[in-house]
Amino acid sequence: MIQRPRIAAVVTEYRRYSHAQHILDRYLFGYSWNGRHHIPEIDLVSLYTDQQPDGELSRSRSALCPQMKIYPTISEALTCGGEKLAVDGVLLIGEHGNYPFNEKGQHLYPRYEFYQQITDVFRQSGRSVPVFNDKHLSWKWEWAQEMVRISRELDFPLLAGSSLPVTRRIPQVDMPLGARVEEAMCVAVGGVDGYDIHALEAMQSMVERRRGGESGVAWIHAVRGADAVMAALRSGSFDAGGWDPDLFRACLCRSHQLVPTRQGFNHHLPTSDEIHDRMTAEDNPNTPVLYRYQHRDGLKMSMLLIEGVVNDFTFAARLAGKKKPLSVQMFLPPREVCNFFNPLTHATEQLFHTGQAPYPVERTLLTTGLTASGVESLFQDQQILVTPHLGIRYQPTRHSTYWSH
Amino acid sequence: MAGSNTRRDFLELAATTALAGSLAPTSAATERTPRKRIAILTTLWSYLHHGQHIGDRFLVGYPWEVDWHTPQVEVVSAHVAQEPTAADMQSREAEYGFPQGDLAPQRASQFGFGLYPTIAEALRCGGNSLAVDGVVIIAEHGEYPYNAKGQHLYPRAEFFQQVVDVFDADGRSVPVFNDKHLSYSFDKALAMVDHGRRLGFPMLAGSSLPVTWRMPEMEIPLGAPISEALTIDPGTSLDSSGFHALEGLQCLVERRKGGETGIRAVQLLEGDAVWEAMHRGAWSRELMSRALSRSDLVEGITLVDARTQDLSAPGVLEQIITDPKAVLFRYQDGLQATLLMLPGATGDYTAAVRTGKRDEILSTKFHLPPDPNVVYSACLAHHIEQMIVTGRPNYPIERTLLVSGLLEAAHDSRVDGHRPQLTPQLAIRYHAPRQSHYCRT
Repeated sequence: MIQRPRIAAVVTEYRRYSHAQHILDRYLFGYSWNGRHHIPEIDLVSLYTDQQPDGELSRSRSALCPQMKIYPTISEALTCGGEKLAVDGVLLIGEHGNYPFNEKGQHLYPRYEFYQQITDVFRQSGRSVPVFNDKHLSWKWEWAQEMVRISRELDFPLLAGSSLPVTRRIPQVDMPLGARVEEAMCVAVGGVDGYDIHALEAMQSMVERRRGGESGVAWIHAVRGADAVMAALRSGSFDAGGWDPDLFRACLCRSHQLVPTRQGFNHHLPTSDEIHDRMTAEDNPNTPVLYRYQHRDGLKMSMLLIEGVVNDFTFAARLAGKKKPLSVQMFLPPREVCNFFNPLTHATEQLFHTGQAPYPVERTLLTTGLTASGVESLFQDQQILVTPHLGIRYQPTRHSTYWSH
Repeated sequence: MAGSNTRRDFLELAATTALAGSLAPTSAATERTPRKRIAILTTLWSYLHHGQHIGDRFLVGYPWEVDWHTPQVEVVSAHVAQEPTAADMQSREAEYGFPQGDLAPQRASQFGFGLYPTIAEALRCGGNSLAVDGVVIIAEHGEYPYNAKGQHLYPRAEFFQQVVDVFDADGRSVPVFNDKHLSYSFDKALAMVDHGRRLGFPMLAGSSLPVTWRMPEMEIPLGAPISEALTIDPGTSLDSSGFHALEGLQCLVERRKGGETGIRAVQLLEGDAVWEAMHRGAWSRELMSRALSRSDLVEGITLVDARTQDLSAPGVLEQIITDPKAVLFRYQDGLQATLLMLPGATGDYTAAVRTGKRDEILSTKFHLPPDPNVVYSACLAHHIEQMIVTGRPNYPIERTLLVSGLLEAAHDSRVDGHRPQLTPQLAIRYHAPRQSHYCRT
């Protein structure tokens, strides 16, 4: 165990509300953890920022915290201006910034490109250190697969993913290890290639604990628009093209931000027609999206993004032999301070302190593949896609890793 | 009211079955047993005031245990004392984006209950004798005067007295819930509880803070020794916000070894006197730090560029808070407790308690889900409903009686040069419920 690790951050941009700001500020200023203001026992000593938009914070933060030096290249950040790797860990935060979109709507963040430059330094130095990659590994499945392969080749721990699996839950429950899960659902906010990954990771962090562990995903079907979602809602079951209505109801009842549809009422369970009206309301600019997919062991999954009908993340699962669904809200504290980054930052600290990823990167490899396949299904006229490449098997951690204290 | 029953059953069934098919098992099951009939007595029934967001729970239901719960009580009558003022409606229309007003007539018509000009008529549903199985008093919001101590003179005791007059006249009593503190006056609050004891009807009262979610989930082990307790309140109004914070803290400390013994002395500090007391160690900096760390709504420099910060670091609070208040109070058994009102530091109600043989500090946030759903009032509605259905309150009225008196004593301190007030009248003994009642569902 390294007593006081020194780490580098490689980020797209460091501005207010960017993921880099949320995570790096926690290294510089500390954050609330276990009922105390916790200051990481890790030194953030170098920083590379790919873009510096007006009002960005990297320069002022470096002036305020001079131990964090800014370098013009990724290689120099990792070597701290020297010849060889000079840090004990790397934060790769390639979220936010001005990057192009492709024709499928994917935001082409340069995570893979950054990762290549990071691992080039590892190769040249003959030494590797732990890497954290924020959110999905890459917009491109083959690149994500390559990133995981390189981590195995160079034998360094790789941690990745969203804050949703580790944030607080209402109530504080986890999927019992070894549970027989038949069907699961997430009702959440946002759009494709940005928030689908959060919802998919939230679900995956729960269902990977099922009996037998993770077996991979056999197929995915993504649809877009109110009509498609209403058809699924009215179908009455997963096998008929929708989902188990009890799971949807459980998610709506778990929501603390269920948008009222009856003027003057602040909280009620919407009818199907009211849900349709909310999805298509003029003041709701969001396009609903549904990913339905099935794991290789038969587990049925639905990810429904209906921002404007709800404004939070909820999950429900049907467990064999249980009358009521198991359900939770993945709690996202509001701005400014966005404390859901506390447990994510803490997971990166654990990575750097112990040299072991606190949860498996295969989770994020699978959700990266699911995200790319969901986008692809939408792009291919909302076709069902079989996913033989997603036969990813892994076992979950025995202990729960969400923020519960 | 049989006709309205039928109409409402239809509306509920329509609402539940319309949501994608097989969704009616709970409501179908509860419809078979006759539901308890309740009267709602409120000062205002307008959008997102307590009368509306608590009252509506009994009309449209609320989320409970992974489902949308159809209440086992039925609103059969209401008395609404005031309509919102033009100024109130204007400002709330700007805030919420749709026309505001008195919602009671629309609710009465849609859900088929009677609106009555007097409390007595509401309780008798226009007849000659008590015609309800429970009474819900929600006298929060509305145009009522303030006294010289800064207390808002909501007519809770006055409403309650009219309820008791009906019970006395008609020779029958039913359970009564009172939202928030019993009265601005401890004497009136005590009289309310005495009426309850005299006539033998169950009473429940208070804030939703004791029953809402906690982050993290945390409870004081029953019978654990407690050496110090502190709570933080983000509000500015001692009378309104302070009540919530004090009752949140009380539901923790009442579980201590020996049970509740009552409060011996109370002092309110305001302005720079708060910082002077902090520097001389009037409360534990460690407890304050732990409670502050539980907030998810951090202000100060965080509002400038979203950075994280340690609010308890030296000098921070003094720099960002212009109007601090502290209520220092000592219990009969010696327990020292503090309420800190720190508007401008956080947006959350949090607490920390030093407990156990090893002086462990437990801390949490009383989680208040946001507007407009304000789901914390569903937690409160559950306990109101439970009391009316079972005839047994889940937690003792003495908790709210004690906190009502504590709050008045803090106001007394304000007009007595912020001197400590001895409170022999608050030697109120009671035992906490064995079961923990905050929301974990």
